[in-house]
Amino acid sequence: MPTLERPYHARIHAQLPNPLRLRTPNPALSDEAMSNGSNNNNLGEGADAMAEEDPRAVLFRDHYARTEARLLALLGEGNMPNSPDAIDMETSQPANIPSKAHDARPTATPKKPARTIDEDDYGDDEDGEEEDDTQTSPLLSKSAANGIAATTIDAPSLRIPSLSNRSAMDRTSTPSSEPVKSSDDVRKKLQQDKTAAEEAAKRSFHTLFYTLENDRDAMLEQQKLDELDRQVETEMSGQPINVQSSGTPAAPQQGSLSTTNLGASSLTLKHLISRIDAQRDKVHASDAQLRSLISEVRKNRSKWANEERVGQEELYESMEKVLMELKAGEHAHPFLQRVNKREAPDYYSVIKQPMDIGTMMKKLKQLQYKSKKDFVDDLMLIWSNCLRYNADPSHFLRKKALYMRKETEKLVPLIPEITIRDRAEVEAEERRMRNGDVDADGAEDSEDEPIMASRGRKAPSKGSKGSGNARKAPPAGSEGTPGPEIKAGAPSLNSAVSNLKNEFLRADSEMEGSVNGFSTPPPGTLTPLGPNGLFRSGAHGSQADLSEVDGTGASVSGFTLESEDAEHDDLEYKTWKQVTKKDRALIAAERNRLFRDDGLNLDEPAILRTRAGMRRWLRHRKQALEEYSNDSAATTIDGKETLQATAGETLAEGMEGEEERQIPDYYDPVCSIPDINERLQWVEDSEGQVIQQVEEYMRIVPSGQFTAPESALAKKVEANMRQMQETRKICAKIGIVKQMQLQSQMYQNQFQKYDPQPFIEADIEPVVVSEDGAVMAPYVCRAALQRSVGKIFYHAGFEEFQPSALESITDIAGQFFQNLARSVGVYREVPKMKSDTPVALPNGNTTTWVPRFSQEEATLHALSANGVDLETLDAYVKDDIERLGTKLAGMHDRMRSHYAELLRPALDGNAGADGAGAFNDGSEQFVGGDFAEDIGEDFFGFRELGLDKEFGVTFSVPLHLLQNRMHNAYAAQNTSNVTTTGVLMEEPEKFEPVTLQSVPNQIGLVQEWLLAKLHDNSNEALVEDDELPIKQRFPKPRLPPTGKISSPRKRPLREQQQMARKKRKLDEEKEDNAGNGNGANANGSSNSKGILKPIGKLKLDMPAQKENQNVTEPEKDDGSAVGMISPESILAA
Amino acid sequence: MADKDKAAKYRTEIQQMMFVSGETGEPSAETTTLIESIVQDQVQYMLRECTALATRRGSRSVTISTDDLMMLIRHDRAKISRLRHFLQWKDVRRSVKDSDDKGGEAGADVAAGDADLAAGVVGAGSGPGPEAGKKAKRAKVDLVWEVQSFFNEVAPQKDDVEDEEEEEMNYATLQRLKNADERTKNMTREEYVHWSDCRQASFTYRKGKRFREWAGFGLITEAKPSDDIIDILGFLTFEIVQTLTEEALRVKDAEDLYKKTSGGEPQNRLKRKRERGLFDPPEEAREPVQPSHVQEAYRRLQRGNSKERAMLNFTRNIHRAHLKLI
Repeated sequence: MPTLERPYHARIHAQLPNPLRLRTPNPALSDEAMSNGSNNNNLGEGADAMAEEDPRAVLFRDHYARTEARLLALLGEGNMPNSPDAIDMETSQPANIPSKAHDARPTATPKKPARTIDEDDYGDDEDGEEEDDTQTSPLLSKSAANGIAATTIDAPSLRIPSLSNRSAMDRTSTPSSEPVKSSDDVRKKLQQDKTAAEEAAKRSFHTLFYTLENDRDAMLEQQKLDELDRQVETEMSGQPINVQSSGTPAAPQQGSLSTTNLGASSLTLKHLISRIDAQRDKVHASDAQLRSLISEVRKNRSKWANEERVGQEELYESMEKVLMELKAGEHAHPFLQRVNKREAPDYYSVIKQPMDIGTMMKKLKQLQYKSKKDFVDDLMLIWSNCLRYNADPSHFLRKKALYMRKETEKLVPLIPEITIRDRAEVEAEERRMRNGDVDADGAEDSEDEPIMASRGRKAPSKGSKGSGNARKAPPAGSEGTPGPEIKAGAPSLNSAVSNLKNEFLRADSEMEGSVNGFSTPPPGTLTPLGPNGLFRSGAHGSQADLSEVDGTGASVSGFTLESEDAEHDDLEYKTWKQVTKKDRALIAAERNRLFRDDGLNLDEPAILRTRAGMRRWLRHRKQALEEYSNDSAATTIDGKETLQATAGETLAEGMEGEEERQIPDYYDPVCSIPDINERLQWVEDSEGQVIQQVEEYMRIVPSGQFTAPESALAKKVEANMRQMQETRKICAKIGIVKQMQLQSQMYQNQFQKYDPQPFIEADIEPVVVSEDGAVMAPYVCRAALQRSVGKIFYHAGFEEFQPSALESITDIAGQFFQNLARSVGVYREVPKMKSDTPVALPNGNTTTWVPRFSQEEATLHALSANGVDLETLDAYVKDDIERLGTKLAGMHDRMRSHYAELLRPALDGNAGADGAGAFNDGSEQFVGGDFAEDIGEDFFGFRELGLDKEFGVTFSVPLHLLQNRMHNAYAAQNTSNVTTTGVLMEEPEKFEPVTLQSVPNQIGLVQEWLLAKLHDNSNEALVEDDELPIKQRFPKPRLPPTGKISSPRKRPLREQQQMARKKRKLDEEKEDNAGNGNGANANGSSNSKGILKPIGKLKLDMPAQKENQNVTEPEKDDGSAVGMISPESILAA
Repeated sequence: MADKDKAAKYRTEIQQMMFVSGETGEPSAETTTLIESIVQDQVQYMLRECTALATRRGSRSVTISTDDLMMLIRHDRAKISRLRHFLQWKDVRRSVKDSDDKGGEAGADVAAGDADLAAGVVGAGSGPGPEAGKKAKRAKVDLVWEVQSFFNEVAPQKDDVEDEEEEEMNYATLQRLKNADERTKNMTREEYVHWSDCRQASFTYRKGKRFREWAGFGLITEAKPSDDIIDILGFLTFEIVQTLTEEALRVKDAEDLYKKTSGGEPQNRLKRKRERGLFDPPEEAREPVQPSHVQEAYRRLQRGNSKERAMLNFTRNIHRAHLKLI
């Protein structure tokens, strides 16, 4: 840099005469004027430069400037008066020239002596200076705002008195504050920019959704930054801070308070501190405590302040700020620490002078920077190192470096052009200056020159001299490149000095001198003027519109320093990243701590909602709502409203020192408060009654949600199922009949009646819901699906099925339908395509964008993707439902006929064609009954004829009668099959039955016994055991496999019990019937229990009838006495 | 040697079957070997699956039943119906044979031949056997998933009820019969004899032992399959060859057509340009089906459909296609 600088200065000198020459009546037409105007950081001046070209443009510019100024006034008051002033100024300029010169002189001269006096409180009265800024007359503020304003408007007469009236104190204080203020201005502006950016970002919170993807980076960077800070801190504390301590003579050797970087320059505190230090033992407080205490006390002093080192406070303040700003940038990451030799082994062979932000921080803390230039050089060194080392144009670090450089160039103007000098030196110089006022130009120049070359110029003096100049310098600097910027300081200084020396020189000339310096590009500078100018316009923009981010100008204006450009990010996104970086990092770190190692760390404090956070959320919400409602209303109004709104929010607001986090609400979801459903809100009507809102939204779920909708298909399926049930009923009867055939006896309740109920789909019970839409109850839905699956099962022929089968099929079906639905979704959501003919939308608009697939197409595609096509469905309906229906009907018919077939033998076993013979067997009760009642058959069709109602009789015939016939018929059929082949011998003649008549023919021994028997049998003929009804027969003794006859007549226990019971019954009946009981009789009555009594009566005759028919119908024989049955008897049969 | 033996096992039968299925030329040994290996593969696959089914069914000693076989081809309704048809006629044949045996007549050969005919053709080659069989009661071959199995009672079949479904499923059979009829229309007596000889070609008929070895009985499944199973397999193998041949012919036709339209080989074009002379070889003597055609046909027949993949949609599972029964 220095090498570039020197020729530049030389040039300025050479050009110094130029301004004089150029100061023509209308200088604005010249190039210089142009650049002059544009050099000034105010829009107004830029505008007035144009104004001279075109009156209409002037008018326009004027209006624009005014509105702009008003806007500025609203957003930040500092710059307000500038533009109108500036406009006026340019017009009045020619007239004012003399006064200006006059004006400049007094300001310059008295200041120097005053300086010494005033230096002390220069730091202390930052506040006062602030007040000054606002309180002092507009003139002053004008002059403060604008260098040229010194030459201004309102009659010089007004101004000069005011100046002259001022005390030296005032004078000196102003200038000394002026440089501060000028850099302050810029800083303020930047601050405003920043807040504006934050505002913009905040506004975008509502409109954009930012993901968390960058949080991790932010967190890591933040961690690194913190680490860096800590490192610097430790390194600093490691070495004694000698540099500083030399500044305070009162400081003792020990690590005393004065060694703190409080800057113990304040007189009052200095004594206090020295006092404390002297009696350190008596103070019961740690160094740190004291330090913080003191820094609290003198808050307004920065830690950099140092009485002995002039300008240090401002310079370091701003340098630190710049450094912090840079450090916090998203691209700063690679530059934070020294390059590790392990990472880049050859780095130090390529880069001789390594530099990084950390080192700079260190240097800063060690107060190693003497001037702005040192600092800027170091900064630039970092970037250039990076660019040099990473020569590959596509290297990612290059981009970062370029970006950072750009950033730097933006920020550098913040740093005031101050060279730190020892107080002694400054005082000496000032003394010298005062003395050498009358010195020749050249001498002064020559004196100045070396100083500049060696270590820069005294800033304060410069500032005091050219109030206008100092003003102008920073904006000039804001043009970016360090070259011109430093340059800017130098010429102004130069001219100021010359101004000092030659009192006849006018402010004008000094201005133009500086202007000159700018307009002429130094041959050696890195930056050509072109980009410079461009950049300037960018700066303009950023100033004109405070709400815009500073970065815009830079990035938009196409900073063509190098062919490759820094990263172009989405502006909004970039802003977002920058603004929220720290907060995001904090939050991410919090989260990270909580969820470290992919688990919830129990020891970490939970993330709780905070009151502040909730308030913030509410505020933001309100803001967003208002913004929404006003949408296009002026932002100023909006801002005011929100201000008012937020002001009245709560008392607690601001009490807890809540720090405003620059993050959208969704980053802090814990603190967001859900809306109360308006239905649940407590609403009162005019009489103060609570309004019941229940009726409005409660509703009963319409029935039928969970049942199969009625459709032709469903009806068919149900008909099929019903058909199956009917057929199964017949099947059950067939089964009973078959069982009867096999079994010669049956029990009362042996056969369960099979009477399936028709299927009814139960709906859910009435449910009240408060919302519209479908009821999403997974278990109910699943149950409904299960029912459907069950129906399909039944329809497929399964009468019963295992729950597990049902479950798994339900799962599969559910999965399938999910797939189907998803497929439909996929096809429906295919991006729309452009059609040639516009399509009308339902709301009346037309669009040329139509869905890729129509509803049908999407459905068909989805079906096909899931292996279903319409043919399959069609085939299913046809084959598996409709044809199944016909098949089932056919099957039903077959079953019926089969059943009738089975029943026939019982009907017409010996009956004639008309069935009349069925009654020949004397079982007259047959007539009265429907024995098929038990199996639900209207066998004779009596019921069909309505007889049962007519006579009020139940045509019920005991099932056993039917069973009897069935069994016999079946047995006859079957035995005939068997016996036809096996008849080997003729049946022997039957024994003559024993009667009273035949007894005497027997041998005497048995006659008595037989007679007794006959008597028992009421003198009727005795019946042979074989001819007894099966039930009454004694079981034949069977030989066990052992061949031993253990005990005769051994009966199973159960039979014995049965017999015992029967005996009891018999006895009772005997009593009832007055000794009318013989075995057969008892049988009959016991059998007919539960049926009508008369039938029992009829039965009495049965044995006789039976015996009559015995010969003719042997198969009917034992049938009538079926009542008693035992396993043995069955076997015997 | 063993391989060659294996390869050569059914050469003539396959050639005959192909002839019946529409291939007029003499297929090369390579083709028949390919077809044979395909058929073998299929049969073995069927046996494996049947064994698995039987195990799952819980049958004691892994005995495959006809139901298992039918289960395998249940989705091919036409084939099922043909198979039922075949089994019915087989039944008929048996009863006729029984009665014939009793009657002392020696019509066994005729009946047997007809039984095989019944596989593909019932009407066309109708001889005395089927006529006799029609009088005998045709036992209905029930499928386990048919309606009658819904109920626990079995109603006697009514004779007069002819399932409409059966009629419909006979459509494919009838189509084949029609084709066969077309082809035999202009045949001379000798040709027709040859034709009907060819129609009797079977993998199983009177080659029980060879077939069992070939199909891997005893290795894959129990060694002594029931008669029915062998018969069904014989039927199915015939079907496989037929389907393959038909598909291969289709492939070949498409290829020929493509060649014709796109020019094909130059010498072919020259030939075509020439007038057909009186002594030119007949059109019939064209190239037989090549192995490549068979392979393509096989590929087409193995092509999966989306139904099999349906449940894998939206998952990352890979669909592994099973062998498809032709």
